[in-house]
Amino acid sequence: MIRVAALALTGAWAPLTLLPAQAPTAKLSGQGILIYTAVDPIPGGGMLGEARLVQPILMLDLGASRGRLLLHTSANFEGWTMPNGELTPGAWGEGYIDRRHPHTYVHELMLSLPDLLGQLDGAARTTFSAGKGFVPFGTDDPMSRPVERFPVNHHLSQLLERAVAIVAVEAGPATVEASLFNGDEPTSPSDWPDLSRFGDSWAVRLTLRPGSGLEWQASTALVHSPEHPGGAGPDARKWSSSLLADRPIGSARFYGLAEWARTSEAEGAFVFHSVLLEAALTTGRHHPYYRFERTERPEETRTFDDPFRTVRPPLDNSLLGITRWSIHTAGYGVRLGTPARRLTLEPFVEVSFGQIATVGEGFFDPVAVYGSDTFRAVSIGLWLDWGMRGHRMGRYGVPMDMPGMPMQMSSRAR
Amino acid sequence: MRGERHLRLGVTALVAACLACENPDAGQQPTAGGQSGVLLAASVDIPANYGIHDTFVRDGLAFVCAWNTGVMIYDVGNGIAGGSPHNPRLVSTYVTPGGEDHNAWWFWNPHTGEKKYLFVGQEGPGTIGARSLGDIHVLDVSDLAHPNEVASFHLDSAGTHNFWMDEDAQILYAAYYNQGVVALDVSGDLTGNLSSRLIDSIRPGGEGSTYTWGVQLLNGSLYAIDMLSGFWQLGLAGGKFSVLGGGDNVRERYSSDLAVGNNGFGYTGTWGSGRTTGIVGNAVKVWRLDASGTPALTDSIITAGIGTVSDIKLSPDGKLLMFTAERGPNAGFWFYSLKDPAKPTYVARYLVPSNSGGVHTGKFATIAGRLYAFGAQDPSPGSALLILDLTAIDQ
Repeated sequence: MIRVAALALTGAWAPLTLLPAQAPTAKLSGQGILIYTAVDPIPGGGMLGEARLVQPILMLDLGASRGRLLLHTSANFEGWTMPNGELTPGAWGEGYIDRRHPHTYVHELMLSLPDLLGQLDGAARTTFSAGKGFVPFGTDDPMSRPVERFPVNHHLSQLLERAVAIVAVEAGPATVEASLFNGDEPTSPSDWPDLSRFGDSWAVRLTLRPGSGLEWQASTALVHSPEHPGGAGPDARKWSSSLLADRPIGSARFYGLAEWARTSEAEGAFVFHSVLLEAALTTGRHHPYYRFERTERPEETRTFDDPFRTVRPPLDNSLLGITRWSIHTAGYGVRLGTPARRLTLEPFVEVSFGQIATVGEGFFDPVAVYGSDTFRAVSIGLWLDWGMRGHRMGRYGVPMDMPGMPMQMSSRAR
Repeated sequence: MRGERHLRLGVTALVAACLACENPDAGQQPTAGGQSGVLLAASVDIPANYGIHDTFVRDGLAFVCAWNTGVMIYDVGNGIAGGSPHNPRLVSTYVTPGGEDHNAWWFWNPHTGEKKYLFVGQEGPGTIGARSLGDIHVLDVSDLAHPNEVASFHLDSAGTHNFWMDEDAQILYAAYYNQGVVALDVSGDLTGNLSSRLIDSIRPGGEGSTYTWGVQLLNGSLYAIDMLSGFWQLGLAGGKFSVLGGGDNVRERYSSDLAVGNNGFGYTGTWGSGRTTGIVGNAVKVWRLDASGTPALTDSIITAGIGTVSDIKLSPDGKLLMFTAERGPNAGFWFYSLKDPAKPTYVARYLVPSNSGGVHTGKFATIAGRLYAFGAQDPSPGSALLILDLTAIDQ
């Protein structure tokens, strides 16, 4: 912890003192969602409703030396506001199940050197980024997408909060990112990546922008022992491909994402698939959206006193079974105030309906655990955005903006 | 310049806030302890490379199966390294191919006098109740300081779990999860692929309803406990397994380990949750074995504050029943008197509270006239070999 904090402070202060004096740039932004969610059924049966402040983020972006040095930091306070997770049917990962886990307090701390080679790489642009943050794999973080409820595929489609070094080369419409990182996932909000494991995992992502407002990516990663910090767990081989559209349609703005992901663990002993489609329309103040996903997840032994937690670290490599979650989610928000204001408020309502099926064999029986193989969830909330528009969480240096609307749209594509 | 200063202060404040978010509870250990004559002789930290799963103790040597760390051989009273139960001394460590070392049996061949082979079970990835992987590895431990793998046994689409041996008949019985029970001829020299040594296998619950945890031989009957189909009495005659009795007799919970004794009773554990809403694996079943050895359920011990009975053993003199427990504030070792084997009575416990772990397995051993329990403490609360002196309660 101390070592990484020292690195962060060094990163924060050193660039401004060592580089030629240039007017530095800075941007402070943030967001948070006040939300009440009711779910029926929860593990053990019955209904549960909870109010929480979720996704509370403060983000600080610093630029120096005419943008040749960027420091991107984001602090996530979910460890304070939702230490037991957010009620989210189907969510899993980092020891939580049917609740979305809180992220780490230091969510991102990334130093980037855009256009590292200047004219040496010709028309291309090479960026080097390092620190704690997102691995270049899969799709954008759900926090920067239209639907509030995290998808079940979060741990199939994103890799985050790792000590990561990324080289990105952008040439015309193509960007290739290659990275090394530590495989271990966080074990608590205050956790830091195990630096001794840096480099035991890798990821590569190819992104193409065939036209305005269109983006296609394909990526793959090998993650060593993500669930066992000591490195004794099985490896995960991951694949992801997606097509993202973000463009105007008349006076409205359309956002659409089609995604496929696959994770194979323990040399193919367990394979999890996901397909996801989501779309949003922003027309004036109005913001309807919809998502469908069908995602498989592991069913693991839950802890004694909390049916929303799983045993960590796991005691072996066994699963109780695999379930497939098919979920429709629809929502509607209405923006208060004008788009030009730095602070945006958007009340919204969101509903989900899902079905739970078992895949293959195994012990796990959804009816025995939930009392039903279907569920419903409804949320009402108020989304607060303070200057986070345009930030694309998980992209460093090169294509941080949304494909069709650089630095214009909000982080939630609204 | 004033803007720069503000930026620097902003970053510093951000980092300071994050430092303040450090978990104040980090490093605290849960309360552990025993009572009524159970004494902790030693606690040996095991690398949390998934940690310790099982232990086989014989002749003052403890074979610790420590997953990817391998098999760790400790002198706990044998004398070859000056160890004792209070001061275990590591003799050697051997990592079998693929790691995942789960359990072991040191074979003493009564016909040749050899103590050459150590059978090691590999517990590979599996879907409980359906699929499993993992081989049997055979180590030559003639030189305990330098073990060496000489043979292995592999079954497609199935993995091994706990062992029992008929040493006189030179047969290794292995619980084999979705393959049920496997019998191997381990006579003579063991080298290379042992697939030709397969005598027979049986899925007592039938295909799709078999996931066998453990086996034990007693008076010519082989008892098997199956997570799905319960407690079985099997026979092996003429190279063929058969079902002699039992089965389909534990339906509300998933079964775990077993112990059968010469007192005419058997004891089986239960595991996990999810078979019946609201019921967890906190039961020890007591079975009366009739004249032919067939089990009939007579009683149960229900323990509050645990979620799994992870191992069951009888002391060498038959006076004590020990079970280990996981997942709950009462996880740890539990000891019952078998003065009335049909109605075991509580004697003592040694707890290592943990909502996610506890003690994974336990074994009895008599060393220098004293009775000990060797336990595998889970990564939560901390991977360790626990050695308890039970002499005072072995009445």
